[in-house]
Amino acid sequence: MKLGAMINDIFESIFKHPVTEHYPFERKETPSQFRGQLQWNRENCTGCGLCAKDCPANAIEVIVLDRKAKQFVFHYNVDHCLFCAQCVHSCRQGCLSMQPQLWELAALSRDGYQLYYGNENDIQTYLASQTAAEPAATPRPAVQPVALD
Amino acid sequence: MELGPVARVWHQGVPEMNPIVALLIFPGGLFVLTLGLAYEWVDRKLLARAQNRVGPRWFQPLADVFKLLAKEEVIPNDVNPLLFVGLPIAALAGALTAALYVPIFGLAPAYSFEGDLIVTVYLLSLLTLCMGLAGANTLNRFALVGATRTLTQLFSYEAPFMLALLAPAFVAQTWQISAINSYASTHWLIVTQPIGFLVALIGLMGKLELPPFDAPEAETEIVAGAMTEYSGRGLALFRLGKGVEMVVGLTLVAAFYLGGIGGPLDFLLKTGALLIAIVIIQALMTRLRIEQTVGLWWRWGALLVLVQLLLYILWEVVTA
Amino acid sequence: MKQEPQKVITKKGERFIIPIGPQHPALKEPGHFEFAVDGETVTDATVRLGYVHRGIEKGVESRNWVQNLYMLERICGICSHTHAMTYCLGVEKLAAVEVPERAQVIRLIMAELERIHSHMLWLGVAAHEAGFDTLFMYTWRDRETVMDLLELLSGNRVNYSANLLGGVKFDISPEQADKIRQGLAFLAERNTHYLDVVMNDMLLLGRIRGVGVMTREQAEKLGAIGPTARASGVARDVRLDAPYGAYRTFKPKLILETAGDLEARFIVRLREIADSCRLINEALDNLPSGDLTVRMPRRIKEGETISRVEAPRGEAFYFIKSNGSDIPERIKVRTPTICNMGSVLALAKGHQLADMPMILVGIDPCFSCNDRMITLRRSDGEAETWSWGQLREYGIKAYQR
Ligand code: SF4
Ligand code: SF4
Repeated sequence: MKLGAMINDIFESIFKHPVTEHYPFERKETPSQFRGQLQWNRENCTGCGLCAKDCPANAIEVIVLDRKAKQFVFHYNVDHCLFCAQCVHSCRQGCLSMQPQLWELAALSRDGYQLYYGNENDIQTYLASQTAAEPAATPRPAVQPVALD
Repeated sequence: MELGPVARVWHQGVPEMNPIVALLIFPGGLFVLTLGLAYEWVDRKLLARAQNRVGPRWFQPLADVFKLLAKEEVIPNDVNPLLFVGLPIAALAGALTAALYVPIFGLAPAYSFEGDLIVTVYLLSLLTLCMGLAGANTLNRFALVGATRTLTQLFSYEAPFMLALLAPAFVAQTWQISAINSYASTHWLIVTQPIGFLVALIGLMGKLELPPFDAPEAETEIVAGAMTEYSGRGLALFRLGKGVEMVVGLTLVAAFYLGGIGGPLDFLLKTGALLIAIVIIQALMTRLRIEQTVGLWWRWGALLVLVQLLLYILWEVVTA
Repeated sequence: MKQEPQKVITKKGERFIIPIGPQHPALKEPGHFEFAVDGETVTDATVRLGYVHRGIEKGVESRNWVQNLYMLERICGICSHTHAMTYCLGVEKLAAVEVPERAQVIRLIMAELERIHSHMLWLGVAAHEAGFDTLFMYTWRDRETVMDLLELLSGNRVNYSANLLGGVKFDISPEQADKIRQGLAFLAERNTHYLDVVMNDMLLLGRIRGVGVMTREQAEKLGAIGPTARASGVARDVRLDAPYGAYRTFKPKLILETAGDLEARFIVRLREIADSCRLINEALDNLPSGDLTVRMPRRIKEGETISRVEAPRGEAFYFIKSNGSDIPERIKVRTPTICNMGSVLALAKGHQLADMPMILVGIDPCFSCNDRMITLRRSDGEAETWSWGQLREYGIKAYQR
């Protein structure tokens, strides 16, 4: 039985720097396996769509414009992604990787979260066809924030 | 009364001050409030450092008060609105009045008469009483339990705390704070009455509801205790009151047991040392259940102080 | 606004009821407890769960086997690896796939790291409920070490997603193993210190010794599991009773205490941290070589199975049924908290109100994973079901009031 069993910790701490990290002034380095934003490498992609099929958050859409000519658009919703890396492992061609440095992804609006990877022209073609077909269509049904009015 | 050299010089300037200024700005009123906030900050900061945290920045207590003042004060249904609004004011007024009788910042008390010690001790209890009543005034279940605990705790530490403050009065043979202060400046009573000192210091923690005596506002049980229904101005006033009470209490204990308070430097050093002691106790202890608190005070606190008093009386009889 | 005075707000019948939850500083998740008190003594306790029911069991029936791994991992934020592992073990059993040994050991290492992190989190929460914030701050500071280790291995801090159906996602390199060993050495040292604090600090002992005593008989009758049961002397640990995965080779120690009070639960959990450290070191030293994954079929053979894993809080139990397609037919999850919840209500009576948060936290409750949905049938036999649209409308109306 002791009174104040933690007294040593207290005196140690008083003369030490607090352990709190001063983010965002100091950033800790992320480990190399850290899962940040997804990166798509289109060299090997076959457009099989396995990554999209296994993605638990439906964050990926692989749009095949022309399979022969390897014209793919990889549509990635950063704000849907859970950073589970399932897609990385599902892809047999090793096209996908997660970038350990890109992790400060918070933003005030969802606008910047729609990423289209692929050839510049392909993306333009795809986006143009999207808007032409259905002016106000959302690519996939997402749960809308409930407006209380 | 005897004063330290600095205070003497300082003190000569004071009588020329307008009494209203003395009451509202310096050394009473505003100055004590600021001091209260500063001590609250030191308390929070040191506690944070003891726990290896960063802690608040220096203006945080002040910012808290401003924020609270700017917020809407919600008066719940079925309370007596007069009491609801009035109690925080009475509490702060009590604490501020108490500050007038003690040597704040090492200056002579603004008012002083034979027996002001008793008045001060009662004024200090006013805050706790007001908090208890404020809790009982609402129908909130947490506030009711909190109020019961606040008052139970008040009754348990009050007697030992009072006895611990009276012991120096006995030796100094006066009930006037300034007189005890000057007596104490030649006698370090902490040496002759260590038990009284401990009881007074820990009693002060009970009064301020600091851990381990924070059962009345134990957030994991009863949210904010008696203060649960308070928001905005009322809460700000209660918190200011607590800050002032902390300063007054520390001043009293330092003046009585730590060789009196002779000047501003003396004041800062001694109350600062006490504050550090309080912070360490806070950091080391687990919250006591309310029945443990009561047991502690009546079984140990009161008894030990009485034994000490008895010893003192015996000593007097023997030496006489 | 003049309202009728509410005379009975504090009373229900003749009793004074203290509500804890659904939103209360003592609870980090919503649950509702009503304690009837007489002065400070609790005379009765009831619980109402279901505030964070998320319909995960229903949700998994419309996702494929791979996607469900992540759905189920999110049942609990603290023992996410356990849930994923339980699911994987079950599905692998159904598909009759043997996971490579190295993957199994990596799963074990993750599971034990998770146990350390969960128990340290609990220690902090329990200390905070007792009003010992210093211990709380220090345990959580040191818990960062194990969180960093988990992040180092998996790349995520909370939902590690270490599992794949048929293996694990990452390997452990020798450098990483060294970092883990270092971290564990630090943790083991701190753990000894905390054990000393818990067993010797006078005031903390005043709050935990002899409080919330659950005898062995009670524990068995109430069906307590995990550390809660082991603190009452019930030898029950799935890792030993029905070893799975790498636990067949690496045996944990059974940690038993007989007192059954809160102190015993502290001690059991702290000793388990020490034992987990030992187990991880052993596993790291004997890491078998080999592959990390085997190929899994996309469609799982028809059949049903159960799978049990010792989560930090006790046994996690999965029932998995497949109809041969790539979507499961039914998955039933039973998490440990629901088994221990009964003990809280049974133990509450006769204790002080101040002990309630402690007794509640003593079982290390996790509300979101134990929440159940209740369907009420009216006396005319009609069960009312609301659609999403109706619920939304109701919500909007409720806010407009
Ligand atoms: S990391 Fe997971 S959630 Fe994100 S895109 Fe890949 S599979 Fe989908
Ligand atoms: S799984 Fe790989 S190859 Fe297939 S579509 Fe996705 S990125 Fe391309």
